[in-house]
Amino acid sequence: MTDWHVNPELLLDYEQGALDPSRVMAVDAHLQHCPRCRSTVRVDMRWLDDSWAVIYDGVHTHQPKGAERLLRRAGLPEHRARLLTATSALRWSWLGATTAVLTFAVVAANTGAAGARLALLIFLMVAPVLPVLAVATAYGPPFDPMHEITSATPMAGPSLVLWRAAAVVAASMAVGAVAAALLPGPGWWAVAWLLPALLLSVGSLALATVTTLPLGATLLGGAWLAGVGAVAAAVPGGQAREVIFGPSAQTGYLIAVIAAGGLLAVRRRRLDPGESR
Amino acid sequence: MAGARVDALQLLHRRHAPWLRARLTRRCADPDVVDAAVQDTFLAIWRDAHRYRETTSEAAAWIWTIAVRRLISNLRGPGHRWLGGPAEIPDSALLAPSAEEVVLMSVEHGDLGPTLDRLPPELRAVIQATALDGLTVREAARLLGVPEGTAKTRLMRARARLRELLA
Repeated sequence: MTDWHVNPELLLDYEQGALDPSRVMAVDAHLQHCPRCRSTVRVDMRWLDDSWAVIYDGVHTHQPKGAERLLRRAGLPEHRARLLTATSALRWSWLGATTAVLTFAVVAANTGAAGARLALLIFLMVAPVLPVLAVATAYGPPFDPMHEITSATPMAGPSLVLWRAAAVVAASMAVGAVAAALLPGPGWWAVAWLLPALLLSVGSLALATVTTLPLGATLLGGAWLAGVGAVAAAVPGGQAREVIFGPSAQTGYLIAVIAAGGLLAVRRRRLDPGESR
Repeated sequence: MAGARVDALQLLHRRHAPWLRARLTRRCADPDVVDAAVQDTFLAIWRDAHRYRETTSEAAAWIWTIAVRRLISNLRGPGHRWLGGPAEIPDSALLAPSAEEVVLMSVEHGDLGPTLDRLPPELRAVIQATALDGLTVREAARLLGVPEGTAKTRLMRARARLRELLA
């Protein structure tokens, strides 16, 4: 643009900050448009290498993708998002299993109109167990090949279990909700299983402060299935659904959830899936 | 593919980092902040390289606008390193040299130089940030550590003063 160029003395003064303000501005403006003068700026190779090393690291660090980015968007801190998405193989196995079971339930319920009432009852009985199953099998000694390494890290312990359990329950409940919406039948029955599911999940975690998580979950899930099975067998006809999932029963579940939550809060330090008792 | 792109970034870094450092040092005396700004600049270029279009403008001007914004966001402290998220890289079409820049390039020859030197420092700093660095008044205010309204008034006063001195 001009035939004027920055000479070496001027550039040296510029680098050392010894120029008049107006000349600094002139050099600024000139440097931006003149590749030749830009290339004459003194290069400190060591500084350049150090700077490049940092950039190189930055370029090669992990960039969040897919589910992790979604969780980050939702406001979860970086390390939590990473934690929840770290064991992807396990995540897919239990999510796949849950989806498959619920798909069968929906298909079975939709095939015969006569069997619909029975199918709904069976769905309501089985659905609460699925999140528990997911909690028990997704992480922990027998199922997670990484558990020994995980439990040696500073983040192991109660909060790890709770975060993972919360993620698992949220995901399997979402799948369950879709299945419930697809089931034929009147209105609010579609959500009647949510409170028992919450009770069984929190209850399993509370039991895990006494025994291991898989054992606690098995005990509680088994007790639930045996209990509702017994009620269904004892109560005639279509009454079973009202007895197990009616308003009074739901109130009872809610109280039990609060009690289990309280127990969990009190004994949370005992919650550690890495320990065998 | 990734390897070739990293090499290209390294070439860009080798070509532009030295003068960026020199020019940023004229804006901020803290070498650590300057270094961090240079590094952030090239990382931002790495992530948003697709937003630059070769034909529209000079790469140096584009890189400079990124660098000076990185410097400002670094000056705000580590908690606010990314001012407006990744969307703040300017469109390269907007970076044609402004009339003020062309004038500034002739400082060496005309009587603009002494005039600029006679301008009070705080007024000159605003002119420098807006006309030369291509910052908005708001960003200039942040770089200079004054409220936005103050920067706006100073810019108006600086322009009036220049007009007066050059008349």
